[in-house]
Amino acid sequence: MKSIDELNLPEGCRYAEDHEWAKLEGDKVRVGLDDYAQDQLQAIVYVELPQVGDSFKKGEPFGVVESVKAVVDCYMPVGGEIIAVNTALVDSPQLVNESPYDEGWMIDIKPTDLTEMDTLYTRESIKEATLKRMEEEDQ
Amino acid sequence: MGDGLRTTKLYDWHVAQGAKMAAFGGYEMPLWYPAGPREEHLAVLTKVGIFDTSHMAVVLFSGSGGFDLLQLCFTKDLQRCIGKSNAPMSQGKCSYGAFLNDRGEVIDDSIVCQIGPDLYMAVVNAGMGGPISTHLTEHRGEGAVEITDLTDQLGKVDVQGTRAARIMLKLLVKPEQVFEGMPYFTFKGHFDAKSPYADTVRLTDGTPIILSRTGYTGEFGFEIFVASDCTTRLWEMILEAGKEFGTQPCGLAARDSLRTGATLPLSHQDIGSWPFVNNPWPFTLPYNADQTGFTKDFIGRGALESLTSPEYTYAFVGYDVRKVAVDEGNPVVLDRGNQQIGIVLSCVSEMGIGRHGNRIYSISSPDKPGGFVPRGLSCGFIKVKTKLGPGEVVLLRDARREIKAEIVRDIRPDRTVRSPMDLMLGS
Repeated sequence: MKSIDELNLPEGCRYAEDHEWAKLEGDKVRVGLDDYAQDQLQAIVYVELPQVGDSFKKGEPFGVVESVKAVVDCYMPVGGEIIAVNTALVDSPQLVNESPYDEGWMIDIKPTDLTEMDTLYTRESIKEATLKRMEEEDQ
Repeated sequence: MGDGLRTTKLYDWHVAQGAKMAAFGGYEMPLWYPAGPREEHLAVLTKVGIFDTSHMAVVLFSGSGGFDLLQLCFTKDLQRCIGKSNAPMSQGKCSYGAFLNDRGEVIDDSIVCQIGPDLYMAVVNAGMGGPISTHLTEHRGEGAVEITDLTDQLGKVDVQGTRAARIMLKLLVKPEQVFEGMPYFTFKGHFDAKSPYADTVRLTDGTPIILSRTGYTGEFGFEIFVASDCTTRLWEMILEAGKEFGTQPCGLAARDSLRTGATLPLSHQDIGSWPFVNNPWPFTLPYNADQTGFTKDFIGRGALESLTSPEYTYAFVGYDVRKVAVDEGNPVVLDRGNQQIGIVLSCVSEMGIGRHGNRIYSISSPDKPGGFVPRGLSCGFIKVKTKLGPGEVVLLRDARREIKAEIVRDIRPDRTVRSPMDLMLGS
């Protein structure tokens, strides 16, 4: 498992409690799983994505990521309409492990309320929250 | 480390390698190493993997009463448990079965091995050395048998995969002699330097071991038993000798998916506190030739012969890699009429297999179609109240999804576990 200093948590992304990242690109928000989530899951073998045109509120599940050992839901970091999904993940789910912020992106959202982005963790605050979580798990 | 968990001698090694650790059977064990559980699983199918299984326990039975005590408590008939010819148990042979209570429920499963004329060992699961010793002591009666729980006194390392023999070839004194006459489910040697059998199998550094052609992956390989203090040395010797074969340390996640693919049960999950019958493992019970009755008396027999509402355990394979989550709730089994007929016991992703046409192939199937790359299939075991046959399709449902599953006799095809030693030495 990666230590806190080995985690790649890029500037420019915001982070949700369950370790989805969200990045504002023009007027859309691109979403994926962060480095901590992919490192915890290991060996992602299947990704279930929503349909383009689906709408979800912030905090609602939009997809499922399945590793060899676990099945986890992915939640909307901000509410809105799904305007694109990364179909490359259907054949190559391991891209979420290999390139979580780039080729392993999951969905693009047209957000209903952009201010929801401000409620998410910053790079610094997610790092702090993750460190706390790691320490709790070590106890 | 916390929660009063026990560790094996290799704990520091696992942590130093960056393994993800988890609690299992009262021990803190590696779930996987940085390579990840998929790579570890595939390494065993295509090359070789090593597992620290020192959390498992060994119980010794010494004295003239050992045979009768095991006949009473173990489900195999030791008079006729070896091979297709139903030969009696003998020195150097292993037999897989279970210890039941008088309700016919599994206390634990075990491989029983005969070390010498009046000396047997039972290999049981983590934390079960105590309960099994207690159970057998209670049934010993006047029998002349000493029962010794060796929990935490032995190390155990499993070397599994086609290259396993070539690794051990480099590590044993007189390896040709050791490998001679060593088919599946036999063993040689002793871990106790004071034993007269200790000289049969020694590592090149002089350490005596038990080398056993058994395992929990369905693939060719060995389980090695050694004095606890020698475990780390043995582990490092195997890794060093196995470097040229790409030897992969493997954790519990790969062990779980490999054993499920091999249609082997996990004790206390696929077999447990329900009658040990009507499952994919009828060879563990002492049936007579026409399967109409038992050839010996044993604890639990009465309960198994007088079931009022039998349940049936079956192996299944899904149609893609998607699973139902057994560890977060209780996934159920539905028949074609959508009636709930049972529960899911195990469900894993077996990443070494895939469907092609009407068949399932393994990454190591000799006749796999050209360009076949396994995308993985979910598989596991269900327990239902109605009889099902191979090929029947059921639905498995958890809180998240419903998946189709086919009832099968066997899961991963073309396993190497019974491959002849000569073939594996050349592989």
